[in-house]
Amino acid sequence: MEKLFKEAIENEAILATRRHFLNTLGTGIGSLALGSALWNCQTSGKPQNSAFKIPPHFGKAKSVIFLHMAGAPSQLELFDYKPVLAKFDGKECPKELIEGKKFAFIRGIPNLLGPKAKFAQHGKSGHWISDHMPHLATQSDKITFLKGMYTDQFNHAPAQLLMHTGSARLGRPSLGSWVSYGLGSENENLPGFMVLASGGKNPDAGKSAWGSGFLPSVYQGVQCRSAGEPVLFIQNPDGVNADIRKASIDAINSVNEETFKEFGDPETVARIAQYEMAYKMQSSVPEVMDISKEPEYIHQLYGTKPGEEAFANNCLLARKMVEQGVRFVQLFDWGWDSHGTSKSGSVDWGLHQKCLETDRAISALLIDLEQRGLLDETLVVWGGEFGRTPMQENREGKTQDYFGRDHHTDAFTMWLAGGGIKPGFSFGETDELGYATVNGKTSIYDLQATILHCLGFNHEEFTFPFQGRNFRLTDVYGKVIKPILA
Amino acid sequence: MIFLDAGPSDWVLFFGHFHPVLVHLPVGMLVLAFLMYFFSKEQNEGLRQKSVATIFLWASLSAFISCAMGWALSQTGEYDEDTLFFHQWLGISTGVISAALAYMAKFWSDEKTMMKLFKPVLWVSLVLITITGHLGGNLTHGSDYLTAYLPQPIRGWVGMEARAEAAEDGAIIPKIDNIQQALVYQQLVQPVLKQKCWSCHNADKQKGKLRMDTPEFLMAGGEDGVIIKAGMPLESEMIKRLLMDASEEHHMPPKGKTPFTEDEIAVLQWWVQHGADFKKKVVALPADAKIKTILAKYASGTSATEPYWSPVFKLSISEADEDDMKGLRKLGLLVNPAAKDQAFLEVNAVNAHGLADKELSELSSVQEQIVQLKLGQTKVTDGFMPQIADMPILIQLDLDHTNISDKGMVSLENLKYLESLNLYGTQVSDAAIMSLAKIKSLKRVFLWQSKFTEAGVAKLKKMKPGLTVDFGFKGKWPLEIDTVRVEEKAK
Repeated sequence: MEKLFKEAIENEAILATRRHFLNTLGTGIGSLALGSALWNCQTSGKPQNSAFKIPPHFGKAKSVIFLHMAGAPSQLELFDYKPVLAKFDGKECPKELIEGKKFAFIRGIPNLLGPKAKFAQHGKSGHWISDHMPHLATQSDKITFLKGMYTDQFNHAPAQLLMHTGSARLGRPSLGSWVSYGLGSENENLPGFMVLASGGKNPDAGKSAWGSGFLPSVYQGVQCRSAGEPVLFIQNPDGVNADIRKASIDAINSVNEETFKEFGDPETVARIAQYEMAYKMQSSVPEVMDISKEPEYIHQLYGTKPGEEAFANNCLLARKMVEQGVRFVQLFDWGWDSHGTSKSGSVDWGLHQKCLETDRAISALLIDLEQRGLLDETLVVWGGEFGRTPMQENREGKTQDYFGRDHHTDAFTMWLAGGGIKPGFSFGETDELGYATVNGKTSIYDLQATILHCLGFNHEEFTFPFQGRNFRLTDVYGKVIKPILA
Repeated sequence: MIFLDAGPSDWVLFFGHFHPVLVHLPVGMLVLAFLMYFFSKEQNEGLRQKSVATIFLWASLSAFISCAMGWALSQTGEYDEDTLFFHQWLGISTGVISAALAYMAKFWSDEKTMMKLFKPVLWVSLVLITITGHLGGNLTHGSDYLTAYLPQPIRGWVGMEARAEAAEDGAIIPKIDNIQQALVYQQLVQPVLKQKCWSCHNADKQKGKLRMDTPEFLMAGGEDGVIIKAGMPLESEMIKRLLMDASEEHHMPPKGKTPFTEDEIAVLQWWVQHGADFKKKVVALPADAKIKTILAKYASGTSATEPYWSPVFKLSISEADEDDMKGLRKLGLLVNPAAKDQAFLEVNAVNAHGLADKELSELSSVQEQIVQLKLGQTKVTDGFMPQIADMPILIQLDLDHTNISDKGMVSLENLKYLESLNLYGTQVSDAAIMSLAKIKSLKRVFLWQSKFTEAGVAKLKKMKPGLTVDFGFKGKWPLEIDTVRVEEKAK
């Protein structure tokens, strides 16, 4: 016993003596310094501000509104109509489908679950839309569905990160950051990328879903709140008036300019731009975020109530922002994760509640953008981070009290409308059970490539140098979904 | 017996696949010997004879090895027997004649008969190797390989059919005038099979012992049985192999060949679904929405996937002066090329709502380049409209929330390329109908909260049927108040 103990101590000593430590410390720090001197991970010396920039190619869309239903809505209760699945409701899922597959909660052999909504075809396009979304059904001919979306992440946070940053791991710039980096903001008083969240919680991926990653931080999304102060911490403190604020910002900026001259770190320029933008936002943001001055018929249209923290308010705000030249407006609405573990998380009642909160506002957004002539130039994207299984969830192998579906990566539906996209079109098809895509398979990267294409970017050429190589949103993947382009 | 059924062993096939590599040796050697013999100088007679003899020896050796490997390759049974017969025996003859030439050059060098015989035999060997090589090429690549890309004028002279125009994604969408009366197999199915299947499944080459070039062979199937089960596309091997994931071993076409487009697969599937008939017309097969869209593409002769761009972007125009643009930017206008390295300009007054006609008149310096002009919420008036009429390539004009009226619209009548006109929240009224209808290229007009009436909008739509008129949302939601279930939630 004692012998063993001694051996252990000796072994421990071999691992890292003080001399070892100092030794590695020397070369370690030295090589770190060398690394940053030779291949520094700093950004190139381009002007880092949010001013207007020219797209590399002609683009039909000038701005994007991305409506993310965080938690992943069930495509089988909304848009992907599967009458055959209804026939097999309650039957065991064929083994072939689930062999070798991993699910977040489903264990063993689950039962199939028929659609828990009534479907009908709508408009000239003949899109199948369920009675959960009666308002959207009236806008059927404006929408193009992607029914063959798939992803490779079955948990919310990584899947949301993949959707918005092109990587399931933290650290990459988000789609909105790429867009505002590439195009800037038309409005000199507003940031190029703004974020609005509703449903009571931020998405699981957190603020990284609108982070700027290795892009200069001036391109990160600015989160605004539809209730209370729109942006936290930009109002003047008590006793500080606008003149003092302006003078202090000028002073800080001149110090920062000196620092930039000395060290040449572009992040310093980004910081200067942020101070200036924050100052401008003190007046511009409250103005754009104020919906109380909107006429009554607009409130009727959207179903908005000023002062509320609601998805509908955010839709109206998104329209206002786009109207004022904001490039990318990201909406998140939390609460679409219908596992069937509670009533509010069921695919019949619970999902319907979420639809009641959003359906009218989304439809109103499409109508309102169109009547202002903005829909031709605004790309609206709707979807979740993945889909839901055609099987009833059986968490811990038990039967659940409510109808619910597990996370599903093989097939889900998203839709796009507006700038650069064919109206009333559908691309991609799933099998008769809605389990997997049989044709028109489109990946998250394909969607990102298509969004960038509509804005005038070639996703393969749109890169940013970082740590010695060029990075792009779509990494090494992605193909523009040409059949849906108008 | 079992041994016979098992087909050729892997060893045989392994060496067989080297046949296309090795055959180039005798070809090159024979041509080299030919060139040396006819183009060397008279005084080097002795040296020439010796060198040529050695080359012929090696040529014949490599030819015999190639023949052996060729025989091994032929054991797959994928090749047309007639072509194969000639290729095989001509190949063997080439080897024999090369050997004879080597012998003659080496041992008969002094005799006169040899001189008389040598040249003709040399010519024969050259002709043989050419024909053999060509037949081999036909077996491997298909007999139309060499002429597949023969340019159009020459095709016409030699009486070949014009080559179908292939779209970017490899799809052929030939224009079919009366699509409903078109023959499904002959006009929709066969062209696809011809382009994407026939190169390996034809008279000369039958991969998997399958030919697809005639209806009879197509229905007969290959070594694994029939490939089409009429009425059951998902049971039919031909369709299954098209639908499976490209990474699967049995996916068709194999890696490296042009894949089928979704439209093409859909058409084949539709044809098999409805009986795989060889005589029926399009109108006789029930078409769903998806097939109808594809048929529409045939009817219009273009793949409808081509995005639309204004013809303006095909014009070549001069670039605007940088100083002029700078001057305009000083006014607060966004003045920028529509895309990098393009002369087409987009002008946007989003940051300069205070501008009036006087300041805006400076836009004349870039009027030749403006394709998009957004003057919404500015102080622009009818007085500025004649200047807009001087912007020859304007595609989009936004005048929402300005004091523009019917008078100003008259000036816009002659804009040749204007497609989108935003008059939302202006004084423009029914009196402008004639002016708007006269703008030939106009596709969309926004009239919400203008002085237009319902009747006026209807009249405008009637006068210009292709025009999309947006008059704002006037409808009622399908559900007046959708709070029933919200209340339930609150409980």
